[in-house]
Amino acid sequence: MIALALPTATEGDGFQAPQISDLHLPDILPWGAEYGTGFGKQMLLVLLSVVLISWFFVAAARKRQLVPGKFQFLGESIYGFARNTVGRDMLGEKEFRKYTPLLTALLAFILVNNLMGAIPFLQIPTTSHVGTAYALAGLVYVYWIFLGIKTHGIKYFKVATVPSGVPKPFLIMVIPIEIVSTFLVRPMTHSLRLFATMLSGHMIVALTAAAMSFMFTGLGEWWGYPLGSLIFVGGLAMYLFEIFIMVLQAYVFTLLTAVYIQGSIADAH
Amino acid sequence: MEITGSLNAIGYGLSAIGGGIGVGLVFAAFIQGVARQPEAQRVLQPLAFMGLAFTEALAILGLVFAFVW
Amino acid sequence: MDNAVILASAEGANPLMPNWWEVLVTLVGFLILLFIVSKFVVPMFEKTFEERHAAIEGGIEKAAAAQAEADAALEEYKQQLSDARTEANRIREEARSEGAEILAELKAKAASESARITEQAQVAIASERSAAQASLRTEVGTLATQLAGKIVGEALDDDARSARVVDRFLSDLESQQAGAAK
Repeated sequence: MIALALPTATEGDGFQAPQISDLHLPDILPWGAEYGTGFGKQMLLVLLSVVLISWFFVAAARKRQLVPGKFQFLGESIYGFARNTVGRDMLGEKEFRKYTPLLTALLAFILVNNLMGAIPFLQIPTTSHVGTAYALAGLVYVYWIFLGIKTHGIKYFKVATVPSGVPKPFLIMVIPIEIVSTFLVRPMTHSLRLFATMLSGHMIVALTAAAMSFMFTGLGEWWGYPLGSLIFVGGLAMYLFEIFIMVLQAYVFTLLTAVYIQGSIADAH
Repeated sequence: MEITGSLNAIGYGLSAIGGGIGVGLVFAAFIQGVARQPEAQRVLQPLAFMGLAFTEALAILGLVFAFVW
Repeated sequence: MDNAVILASAEGANPLMPNWWEVLVTLVGFLILLFIVSKFVVPMFEKTFEERHAAIEGGIEKAAAAQAEADAALEEYKQQLSDARTEANRIREEARSEGAEILAELKAKAASESARITEQAQVAIASERSAAQASLRTEVGTLATQLAGKIVGEALDDDARSARVVDRFLSDLESQQAGAAK
């Protein structure tokens, strides 16, 4: 609304809303190279997150005290959450142990990478780049199809696409829908849900930040200051909400992974 | 005054309405079910998230088409 | 802004088109993380959980054993107590019946004793009475005749006659007594 009320940007003088391409910084390794040709900040953060999570988990798990200290307790509660709340509740008492490492790694990885967006100076959720989301969802996709084939053999595709208890004539309609929804839409939504929420959340925070800075410095009118303060409060609220969404999306991604795995290792439904 | 932008954003906004309502319905039913029968939560939870995934798929498809066209 | 848009369109930076470098880095990074987690972290955590579980379970088992022992002891004490109580009851019952027996015996003995004593007394009384009667009969006769002789002044030496008189008197007396008793 504010952007519309202002004169449209002609000289680069007025308000410029941040663009999606602002998230695509120039690469680092060929220094300042165009985005996509080399090793950039986002990938650096991914590797940083791997190092951080590994260090954290190994340090938390190594002590192995019966009565955990604070550090061990934090690691144990994250691990216990992935193991019990996600794994055991979804996959059942018998099966969940095999999949605990995957779920734990996914939860921690996505959580940390999302929270990268909330840490000053790092300030970019690495999962808001679609490559990361695609890689994770693709890995999970391949994994649950592999599990399905391992459990049911080649019959898995029949199990997955032909629902039982549907009258024959409807099958002509139902089977294509099932194929599309299971094998095309599932991995797509799985990755894009994470990516899109991270991207849009980050864009909103960036937008409020840009608008606030414009109100304070670029406008040059006295009412820019109260308006800017108002936007700051709103931006802070969006920032906190975004942190909540980050945690929630990590949970949802892991939970859906568990649901998909459960769907392919379960008996025919 | 001239408003520039893409119709895609409006289209995506429209597609998000359906997804929003659908997700709301799914979780409303889930919460009701759990409130009536707390011990059914383990059974209902995967179903609720499957429903969430299916319903949200439409909104996410809308997002994809907003970017593609 | 225009610059950015142009740049973006020149790159084809549709946000849905992945940067393959990112995919590669993420895959490699995540697989390394997965390896570390599944190789080191999960076994260690599981071991910790198991140890904790064992510790808690052991504690619970110990407590349960102690509880069972205490229960057994209590049961035993209760058993002993009830045994003792029945024993006491039995003894009391026995004593009571024995006492009753003794009492009955004593009563019987006393009754027979008293009966015997009464009988003896009666026998003694009867013999005394008959002796007294006999002696009275003779003495009263003699006294009466002497008295009568003194009164009359004439010796009633004729024993035969006097004896007849006395007998008649006594039988009169007896018949009078019998009539009074009737």
